[in-house]
Amino acid sequence: MNEKDVTRRDFLKLITNGLLTLSGLLGLGGIFRFLTYQTDPSPPTEFDLGPTTNYPDGSRTVLPRVPAVLLHTKDGYSALSLVCTHLGCTVNEDDSDGYVCPCHTSRFSANGSVVRGPADRPLRALRVEEHDDGRLWLYTA
Amino acid sequence: MKRTISFAAGILVLALVFSAWAEARRPQPMPLTPTLTGETEYCLTCHADLEEISPSHPVETYGCVVCHGGERLALDADLAHSTMRGGKNPSDLAVVEESCGGSDCHSGQAADERDHIQRVLTSVQATYAGAIANIRYTFGAQPDLNAYLGTRAVQDTTTQTGITSLAAFDPARETNPALQTFAENCLECHLNSEPRPGDEYARFSGCAACHTPTATTFPPRSRDAAEGLVHTLTTAIPYTQCNTCHNRGNYDLRTMTFAPRDDQPADRIHDYYQPIAQFTRCEWTLDCIDCHTRSESMGDGDIHNNQKEIQYVQCRTCHGTLDELPHTRTLTDPNDLAFRLAALNQGARHLELGDTIIVTETGEPLWNTRQLPDGTFELVGKATRQYFTFRPVMGTACEQKPDEQESRYCHQCHSAER
Amino acid sequence: MRPNFFHHLHPPSIPAEQSRFRYTLGAGGLGIFLSLVLLVTGALEMFFYIPSPEQAALSVQTLTYLVPYGGLIRNLHYWAAQALVVVTVVHLLRVIFTGSFVPPRRFNYLLGLGLLALILFLDFTGYALRWDEGVRWALVAGTNLLKTIPSLGKSLYGLVVGGSTLGAATLIRFYSWHVFGLTLAVVILGIWHAFRVRRDGGIAAPPPKQRTNNARISRFELVRREVLAMLLSAAALFVLAALLPAPIAAPIQAASDSLGEARAPWFFLWIQQLLRLGNPFWMGVAIPLIALTTFAALPYLFETLPTDQQGHWFPRAGRGAQAIAAGIVLAWLVLTILESLR
Repeated sequence: MNEKDVTRRDFLKLITNGLLTLSGLLGLGGIFRFLTYQTDPSPPTEFDLGPTTNYPDGSRTVLPRVPAVLLHTKDGYSALSLVCTHLGCTVNEDDSDGYVCPCHTSRFSANGSVVRGPADRPLRALRVEEHDDGRLWLYTA
Repeated sequence: MKRTISFAAGILVLALVFSAWAEARRPQPMPLTPTLTGETEYCLTCHADLEEISPSHPVETYGCVVCHGGERLALDADLAHSTMRGGKNPSDLAVVEESCGGSDCHSGQAADERDHIQRVLTSVQATYAGAIANIRYTFGAQPDLNAYLGTRAVQDTTTQTGITSLAAFDPARETNPALQTFAENCLECHLNSEPRPGDEYARFSGCAACHTPTATTFPPRSRDAAEGLVHTLTTAIPYTQCNTCHNRGNYDLRTMTFAPRDDQPADRIHDYYQPIAQFTRCEWTLDCIDCHTRSESMGDGDIHNNQKEIQYVQCRTCHGTLDELPHTRTLTDPNDLAFRLAALNQGARHLELGDTIIVTETGEPLWNTRQLPDGTFELVGKATRQYFTFRPVMGTACEQKPDEQESRYCHQCHSAER
Repeated sequence: MRPNFFHHLHPPSIPAEQSRFRYTLGAGGLGIFLSLVLLVTGALEMFFYIPSPEQAALSVQTLTYLVPYGGLIRNLHYWAAQALVVVTVVHLLRVIFTGSFVPPRRFNYLLGLGLLALILFLDFTGYALRWDEGVRWALVAGTNLLKTIPSLGKSLYGLVVGGSTLGAATLIRFYSWHVFGLTLAVVILGIWHAFRVRRDGGIAAPPPKQRTNNARISRFELVRREVLAMLLSAAALFVLAALLPAPIAAPIQAASDSLGEARAPWFFLWIQQLLRLGNPFWMGVAIPLIALTTFAALPYLFETLPTDQQGHWFPRAGRGAQAIAAGIVLAWLVLTILESLR
C-alpha cells in the first residue's frame, strides 16, 4: 500500500460520508416540512359585518364569531376585542357596562382598560372600516 | 471496495433529489373555505380560472363541492372527480335534489313558488306526459288522452289537477312496436334526456338545460358549449337555448322518426321558428321568456296532461282586447315577487316602488314590463336588454271578433313576413 | 469490547461461500431494512391519520395530496409493505430450498413462519385503514369469512369487528392492531428471529472439514455489503414511490349502491380465487391454514439433512420438502395470476 492509495481511500471516504450526510439532510428536510404542515387553515382575520344600517348610532353590538364588540358613537365606529389579555378566554359583559373574564375574573371597563387584574393590558382595539358599498369590515390582524 | 459504497450513496442522493423534484412538480394546493360549508376544498388548485357561475352563487360563499360533490381534498383529477354528482352537470334531475335542493335553496318552500325542483320534476317539460299520452292513445295503448305515464315516475301529493302520480313509461311493457320505436327515436327533448347529437341540440339535462346557455348568440354556437364546458347559470335565457329542443323539426308519426328542419337560417327572423310557423314581429324580436312565465316553463307544482294545460300566455296578456286593457299591478309592497325576479336577472330592469307592471291572468308578474305615463307600455328583453314599447289593443282599429281572442287569430293579420 | 447486539448479529467472520448474495438472496436483511422503513414512515403517517370512519379516508387524502412529502411517505410505506411480503416469501423459499429449516434451526424457522403470518395481517389491516370505496368490499368479505368458522366464527367476528357490522369500532380495532398489537409482535418476533440465527450456529453451512472453500469474510465486509444493499434498495424505494402512487379511492359512502370493483389486496387474491371455487370456510379459512400448517410441518417431516449437503441450494436429501414448498407457492402464484386476470 503506497501513499497514493491512502489519499485515494481518504478521498473516497470523504465522498461517501458527504453523500450519506447529504441524503440524511435531504431526508430530514423533507420530514421537517412534512411535520410542520398545518391541516386546518388559519382562522379568518377579516369579518364582513354587513351593512352599516345594522348598527345605528349609539348601538353596542356583541359579535360572538370574532369575538368582539362593535360600538357606534358620535365619533364613528370602533371595535374592541373580547379576548382577555391575560390568557385568552372570551370575556363577558358585566352589570356595569364593563367586561369580566370568566376564567380569572379580570375586569375591564367599557372602553377596555383594566379595572382589576390579573390582566395587565387593556382589551385590544380592532380596526373597523366602512367600505364604499356601505358594508362594515372588521380586521383582527 | 470503497468505491461501490460511494457509488451507491450517490445513487441514493440522486433518488432523493428525484423524489424531491417529483414533489416540487405537484401543483401548489389552493385552499378555499366557503362560508356556507366551512370545509376547506382544493378544487381551485386546478380550476382557478373558471368563471363564476352566477352572481347569486359566489364561489367564496358556496365553493364547488356543495353543488358538484366530488372529493374536496383530492388533487388527483380521477379521484377528485370520482364522486361528482351528475358528472359535469349536478342539476341533472336524477341528482338535482342533492345538488340544488334544500329548504334554503331550490326546494321545499312553496312560498313565491320557490319549490323549483318539485315544480320542475312534475312539469310537462320533464314528464313529457302529453306526448307519451298522445302517442299511446293513437296506437291504442290507452283509452283516452289523459296522462298516466311520464319519463320518470313522479308524485304530486297536493294535486289541484286530480293527477296524483305518473308511472314511468317503460317501452318494454308496451305491446305495440310503434311505441318502442317512439321510445327509441322520440324521447330526446325533455329535461331527463341527453340531447340528440349535433351542435344545434347541444344542451345539458335538468335545470342546466335552460339555465346554462350553451348557445348565447346567433350564430355561432360556442365550441365550449358543445363540449359541456360552460360554467354559467342565468335567468336571462336567450331563445337560442329554447331552440335546442323547440323548433328543431317535426316528428313523423308514420315512421316514428324525427325529421330535422333543413333550412339554413342566416338571421334571427329565420332562426327563431321553423319554416312552417306563423308568428308576429314581437315573437322573433323578443325572447321566449320575455312573455312566457316561470310557471309555464317550469311547471306550477301540479302534474298536467299536456303542454296546452299549462301554457296560457297569449297576445292579449300584454295587449289586452278591444274591450279590456291588460291586467296590471302597481308595486306597493317592497316584498313583491316582481322585485325579487328582477333582481335575480341582474341589470335587465330596475323596478321601483310605485311602478305599474303587467300581470298575467293568473297574477304572475311580467316584471320586465312597465306602464308609461302616456298609457303605453315598455318591455325590456330579459336576455337582450333591449327596450320595446307597445300599445294596448283597446282604442285601435283592430277588427277582431270578441270570441276569437287567441293568438292564432291575431296571427291572421299580424303575421311577420320572412 | 463489551458484547452488544450489533456484534451478536455480525460475528467477527462468516463463511464467504454462504454469505454470497446468490446464496442468501439478501432476503432476510432486506426484510429487516424494509421493516425499519415501515416503522419510520408509519410513525410519520400517524401524525396525520385520523382513525374514525368519517375522517379516515379524508385524512388519507390530506396526507396524500396536501402535506408536503406526504404522498411520498405514504407511497414509501405502501411499496415497502408490498416488497416486504415478497421478500419474506423469497426468504422462506430460500430457507427451504437450501435445507436450512431442519434442526437446530427448526424453531427459528417456525418463528419466521409466524412473522410471515403477522406481516400478512399487518398488510391487511393497513389496507383496511384507507377506509375508502377501494377496500370496502374486501373488508366486508374478509371479515365475513370469520363467521364461516364452525362454532368459533361468531365470537371471533365480534372480537375482530367489535360489533355486528363494520363501523367505528372496527376501524379503531384495526388501527390499534396495525400500529400497536401486530407491530409490537413483529418487532419482538423479528428481533428474536435475528437473535436466533447465530444461536443456531450462524448461517447454514457445512461443517468446516467438508467445505470446498474455507474462505471467510470479516465483520467489516459483512456490514459493507449490508450498507450497500440498504442504499440501493432505499434508492429503488424512493424512485418507485415517486413514480407509482399507492392506490386511493373516494371515502365509503353511507348509502352507496355502486358496488364498484370488489377486489382483494394482491397478496390475498389467491384466497379470493379460492372462494370462487366452493365452500367459503374450506376455501377461505381451512385451505390457507392447511398451507401454513404444511409449511410448519416441514421440519418435522424432514428432520435431518446430511452435513455434507448443508449450505447448498437444492440438497438431494431435501427434495421432498422442496417439492411441497414449490407446489404450494406455485399454486399460490397460479391462483393469484388467475384472479388478477379476471
